[in-house]
Amino acid sequence: MKTFLKVIATLVVLGVVALLAFILVPVQRSAPTEQLAADWQPQPGQGEYVLNASDCVACHTADGGAPLAGGRPIESPMGTIWSTNITPDPETGIGNWSYDDFRAALVDGLAPGGRHLYPAMPYENYRLMKEEDIRALYDYMMAEVPAVKNAVQETSLDFPFNMRFGIRAWNWLALTHAPGFTPADSSEISDRGQYLVEGPGHCAACHSPRSPFMAQDGVTVADDHFLAGGVVGGWNAPALRGSASEIGKWSTGDLATYLATGRNSHSTANGEMGLVVEHSLQHLTDADNIAIAAFLKGIDGDAGEVPQTLAAAGPTALPPAEADAAGADTTAMLTEASPEMPLGARLYLDNCSGCHFVTGKGAPEIFPELAGNSLVTGSETTPLISVILNGAEVPSSAKRPMVLRMQGYGKRLSDSEVAELATFVRTAWGNDAGAVTAADVAAVRKASATH
Amino acid sequence: MTDLPGYPSRRSFLKASAAGVALSGLAASASAEEKTPPVPLDQYERQYLNAEEWAFIMAATARLIPSEGDGPGAIEARVPVFIDLQLAGDYGTADDWYMEGPHDPTAEPARGWQTPLNPAEVYRQAIPTFNSWCETTYSKSFADLDTAQQDEALTALQKGQAVLAPELRDFFTILLANTKEGYFADPQYGGNHGMQSWVYIGFPGARAAFREWPERHNIKYPLGPVSISGERA
Repeated sequence: MKTFLKVIATLVVLGVVALLAFILVPVQRSAPTEQLAADWQPQPGQGEYVLNASDCVACHTADGGAPLAGGRPIESPMGTIWSTNITPDPETGIGNWSYDDFRAALVDGLAPGGRHLYPAMPYENYRLMKEEDIRALYDYMMAEVPAVKNAVQETSLDFPFNMRFGIRAWNWLALTHAPGFTPADSSEISDRGQYLVEGPGHCAACHSPRSPFMAQDGVTVADDHFLAGGVVGGWNAPALRGSASEIGKWSTGDLATYLATGRNSHSTANGEMGLVVEHSLQHLTDADNIAIAAFLKGIDGDAGEVPQTLAAAGPTALPPAEADAAGADTTAMLTEASPEMPLGARLYLDNCSGCHFVTGKGAPEIFPELAGNSLVTGSETTPLISVILNGAEVPSSAKRPMVLRMQGYGKRLSDSEVAELATFVRTAWGNDAGAVTAADVAAVRKASATH
Repeated sequence: MTDLPGYPSRRSFLKASAAGVALSGLAASASAEEKTPPVPLDQYERQYLNAEEWAFIMAATARLIPSEGDGPGAIEARVPVFIDLQLAGDYGTADDWYMEGPHDPTAEPARGWQTPLNPAEVYRQAIPTFNSWCETTYSKSFADLDTAQQDEALTALQKGQAVLAPELRDFFTILLANTKEGYFADPQYGGNHGMQSWVYIGFPGARAAFREWPERHNIKYPLGPVSISGERA
């Protein structure tokens, strides 16, 4: 018995020592993946370009706040995380950070002093950025971003998520990939796209599924589930690969146009993707958006024809598409306009068909296609319900300045009518998604009212 | 509907509803919509009109668009509610009209709105004047006349035989216009209840999407109307 107690005591002591070591022993930072020459200087504009490609502004700017001065609430399953001030203000921003501090934040998720950043900061992805881009970004942010004194709200999550040392354990599971970029060497264009997608663009943060412990399940193109589709805050970030994916039916040119302008002949970007287009992608060169599209289309095979330019300026008159074979039955039923049609179809005719048409094909670059639209058929029904209730907006971009707005139908339709309508569009034109209930609609309506 | 004596409104409303039910029996799922029926006209809480004016409007609109014969009448369509709401609103107060004058109420009618009164004031002053004319002529106020006398009195009003002051001379014109508006306007303004007038004339309402139809000649558009607020009939 005594021996047994001794063993237990020893184990407890060892456990406590290990835990203390785990909490107190400083974390190692990753070394640079590439040594830049002592006199290395970024290209003019390179740092700002990396900033745009990395979409730092989207999270690190509060609504109505100064750019990059932080304070935006980011909802996570663990609680609300407040983005930090990353302007070079020494007191409230990152003005005192050395370049090594800065790299450690991007590559290892570590703030100065070894404090762990919450993985809302996508260091899983920024880790893959090239040394010279990180350096260019640092130089730009320190020298050209105006310092803004803005003390943001401290993130305070509930136990156990407020124990930041826990992130150390999480990082052992999540950061299994080496820092730096490893091109797949398929072509120069595709490698450039791969770099932008995997690294600065951090597409996998939303478009890859999450593992059981909430890490990205697929951070590089070598991973099976890379960009296979994820769920973020009740929205589907659709799969960007696979023949069943929505973009699987788009050409490389269609996809590049969508990235640069938030709209193409099939769909429009709203919600989170609208913000990505607004703050990030529209500022990239045509060549880079084409490279991203070519890479994504090439993941599962041939990217097909890769265009030289996209979204030509000037007036365009694109005729609406005719119904395809999958949509023929629904189109015929709506065209007949029989009073015997089901309620969902009747509601579609009364409210939606003026813009999205009986074909469900919408109008190119203005009204999105509903047939095969990932927002319409997603596993998450909140986005579709929300768009019907509250409307949607596609942002202005340099190449397509017109903001596209859909009105909301919350006042015109009851919960059960929205449910009928949503269920109809999820099953029309060959769409094959589950029904929406009035209770689902009521929940979204309630949430919209409190936001 | 209305329980006012002398109006066949209840009967014709039931008839209209029965026709509606028969139609929607085919499409119960698409057009059956459980809505709380509006308050009956005799319990309606008036926004502008007083009791005498309300009785006049009920009686006069019922003669301008009668309930007997084809289609719904002004009473089934709740035109009096429309007129009451309009007179209580921007139209009644001539809110966005030029009303500074100079006014010349005796100017020829082609010169437009020449009275210094706004429409609500015209109704307020003209109705008692016209009712006194009816008292003098028939010893009853307009609402108490039989329908033949009411038609006769309205005709006299229209032709200027029931003389009103120059400031009020447009009264019949706006009464008739407002009655038609209340009959055909979108139901959100209180009239055209249940889009009955739209159903009657075959107007498909605020659907605004008929792209498939312009070239389908000699085929009747099959769907009933939809209102701006999404009501179906």
